[in-house]
Amino acid sequence: MSDLGELDRPGSTSRRGAADPVKALMHRHRDLCERAVDPLEIAAGLEAHGITDRTAARFRHRDVFSLAEEMYARVSRDGDTPLPAPPAPPRVRADWALSTLLPGALCAAAVTAVHLTHGQPRLLAAAAGALAVALGLRAALRRGPLSRTDTDRPGPRPGASSGRTTPWTLWLVLYTLLGDGLLRNALAGGPDTLPTGTPDGPWPLTAAPVLALALACAPAAWTAHLLTARARRKLASSRGLEDFAAAMRPLLLGTFALFLGALAALLALCGAVLGESGASAQALALGALLFLARLLTTHGFTYAPAVVLTATAMAEAVGLASVFASRLPGLGFLATPVETLVTTWGAGSVPTLACGAAALALLVHTTRKLTRASAHAPSEPAR
Amino acid sequence: MRIGLLTEGGYPYVSGDARLWCDRLVRGLAQHEFDVYALSRSEHQEDEGWVPLSPNVRRVRTAPLWMAEDDEVVLGRRARRRFTEYFGELAAVLCGGPGGAASPAAGGVPSAVGGLSGGAPTSEADRFANALYGLAELAREEGGLRGALRSEAAVRTLERACRAPGAHRAAREARVPDLLAVAAHLERALRPLSLDWYEDDGLGTVDLCHAASGGTAALPGLLARHFTGVPLMVTEYGVRLRTHYLNAPDAPPAVRSLLAAFQGRLAAEAYERAEVVTAGNTHTRRWQERCGADREKLRTVYPGMDARPFDEVGESPDCVDPYTLVWVGHVEPAKDLVSLLHAFAEVRKQEPTTRLRIVGAPAGPEGAAYLGHCRTLAAQLFPDEAEGPHAAGDNPVSFEEIGGPELPAVADAHASGAVTVLSSVVEGFPVGLVEAMLCGRATVSTDVGAVVEVIGGTGLVVPPRNPRALADACVALLRDPQRRARLGAAARARALELFTVEQNIEAFHGIYLEIVSHAPVRRVLLDGAGAPLPFAVPAEAHVPVRWTAASPRLAAAAGGGWVAGKPVRATTPVPAQEGA
Repeated sequence: MSDLGELDRPGSTSRRGAADPVKALMHRHRDLCERAVDPLEIAAGLEAHGITDRTAARFRHRDVFSLAEEMYARVSRDGDTPLPAPPAPPRVRADWALSTLLPGALCAAAVTAVHLTHGQPRLLAAAAGALAVALGLRAALRRGPLSRTDTDRPGPRPGASSGRTTPWTLWLVLYTLLGDGLLRNALAGGPDTLPTGTPDGPWPLTAAPVLALALACAPAAWTAHLLTARARRKLASSRGLEDFAAAMRPLLLGTFALFLGALAALLALCGAVLGESGASAQALALGALLFLARLLTTHGFTYAPAVVLTATAMAEAVGLASVFASRLPGLGFLATPVETLVTTWGAGSVPTLACGAAALALLVHTTRKLTRASAHAPSEPAR
Repeated sequence: MRIGLLTEGGYPYVSGDARLWCDRLVRGLAQHEFDVYALSRSEHQEDEGWVPLSPNVRRVRTAPLWMAEDDEVVLGRRARRRFTEYFGELAAVLCGGPGGAASPAAGGVPSAVGGLSGGAPTSEADRFANALYGLAELAREEGGLRGALRSEAAVRTLERACRAPGAHRAAREARVPDLLAVAAHLERALRPLSLDWYEDDGLGTVDLCHAASGGTAALPGLLARHFTGVPLMVTEYGVRLRTHYLNAPDAPPAVRSLLAAFQGRLAAEAYERAEVVTAGNTHTRRWQERCGADREKLRTVYPGMDARPFDEVGESPDCVDPYTLVWVGHVEPAKDLVSLLHAFAEVRKQEPTTRLRIVGAPAGPEGAAYLGHCRTLAAQLFPDEAEGPHAAGDNPVSFEEIGGPELPAVADAHASGAVTVLSSVVEGFPVGLVEAMLCGRATVSTDVGAVVEVIGGTGLVVPPRNPRALADACVALLRDPQRRARLGAAARARALELFTVEQNIEAFHGIYLEIVSHAPVRRVLLDGAGAPLPFAVPAEAHVPVRWTAASPRLAAAAGGGWVAGKPVRATTPVPAQEGA
């Protein structure tokens, strides 16, 4: 209604002697005609421009509906519909880009503090460091591509319900930190002392993998961001759901490999800096597991990650518990599987095996779930 | 009687559409009880709260349409298969393609909505209805369908329907983002399916469902009718389908085509199942007929206006200045004030003492710009003039707003002139014209929208965008005071007869009684042992008196094998108002 000059003036057309008044009308409303998906849409548009049944009578039509039908039938629709513009990629924002660096930085500071202190202060430093890293992680997961509730996030919005994954994640990380030493001590009949916080004590602390995992928050966020951006582009350009799934599979695996590469590099770096070697395979497996679980969670699939993380944590706990349980009379056979594993491949093989199997299961699950278009559907419009 | 009033984004919300009408209806029919079932449209609307409720509103149940409440419903294998079947059928109907084996090939139908008119294949409508009610039953059994409607299975089913042979052109071109968009929109539109309103303590207890608008608001009514046999009545003051076309967001053709098909089918289904469909004017009625409403079901119930503010002016027909024309309304381009100014120039040539008062505030920024344009034009066309060489002059065209000391109310604006002019090129139901009629003014209006229908023979009507005709009509009235008075009196009589609140409420009351007498809800009441209770519904049930409180409290037992339908709990005594 903004342009009254475009309003139809049938009287004037007849005065100018147009042979085909409907054609002139169609020319005047060509946008409407080309856009319309059915005659009723043209009728609604014409009425909004002030054309009534009495006007339609001058075009030799009974009412606006039959006039609209003629216009709908006559409009040429041979031109292919133009491809929609590619969607705007999710924005890289300074807040999440910086906050993903937070856990790594805090963890590095905590490790340094633990290394520099002794005795009571060391305990305090360790506790404060753990708390700081937890808070940093919380901040990193609240915004950006790793967030479950970000407005820019794809996929159906999950409700308040979520699998309780936090305690299990905590347990898995704690195991990486202390588990190998505990297992070795347990098999040798210990542990006799509490961990001292050094990598060379009787119950050694393996800080390098945890530091690497904390640092890996940043590459995880960036790879997830990359996945979202690429998936959005693929979504816009694919013709069918099968096409989309076929395009997503290599993208998903590539993203995963990219993250693994980054994590491996971080592990090597941290091992070199802290002077610890080994334990990189289990950290790699754990990192992969946590990355996949987070990826699924951000896309609205909360059930599988919760189940798999719980199962992994349980497996590790059962491994440890079986060693302690074997000390009871008559139950010595319980420790045999773990003992065999440890003597063959070392203490790290237990978490490697558990996390690796779990990560593999989640990877298979991810390639099934995240190649679906519905997982990448744009989130609900603003209220 | 107990009436279930179904609204979408309307009553009882403060910012709702048609809340004034609903409020008057509810207050006007104080002898009946109303249960309001409201779907809210936005969080903002919910935050603004409700209008004060009438005491005969027994309960208000609301559900948000803007928010997906996550249900934890995971469909089992069988339910999933049923869902895919029904949703596939729905999608096939929307795509215009042939669906199940039972349906005949419908390849000839060019477009789903286009085929609605005239001899539309009824099987298509049946398929849509079957799919819709199938989904509704599934939602009722499983406790919700939101998850399923958003799932990959739904998107996949849509894709299959779009690619099926016989699907129309726009649907065939649907790409993956389009499918996702359609699935999301359908999920939104079908949210009423997952509500728990259709149980025996919800819409099952009402005697009549009255949907205050078409479209989504009618959907709960359709489901209530399907589940419990409650008769449905649909009132439309604006056609929802037409609004959908005008307000549809800019989306790819595939999305718009499928959604338009859904809205069209839904409207047709509502018109088909409703006992009575009321239209606000002939224009709405024509759209309803076009969308498949049966002519016998259609009633025109004109919107009602409160006549009291206009009584004083209407009863005393002496006007301030017999040489003044008045225009009242919101200033916007569709009102074509430019034509009016040109017409006024013509009038001035013949009657040089005439003045024109343009009363109204601009509507939006576009209206403000238009008002500025009109002021400039008026200044160019008419120089300021004064009574004598020593007096300050002013322009014969004045722009005023209601609310000032000179014009405190709309009635005063109409009262200040001899003739009220309406110069619109686009108009729906001309409220300003009815106000002028209630004031007993002679009117000159353009032939747009429902103007002719409203004015009848009680005013002059000229073609739109014809300043000369408008001017001639105005001059004719200005020169003939007796004709003015005759027309004004006739107009007031007509408006009091047709466009008052009382007639509106009376019309709805009559329709309610008619529906309840023709299509009473057959409820089988059971006593404590599960045996049917004869004469449990007294004859007074169908008489418009308060009877609900008198009915015995009865438990609906599961037994009664000889009863064909599901036994329904008798209406329980009136509980306290919910949330009110």
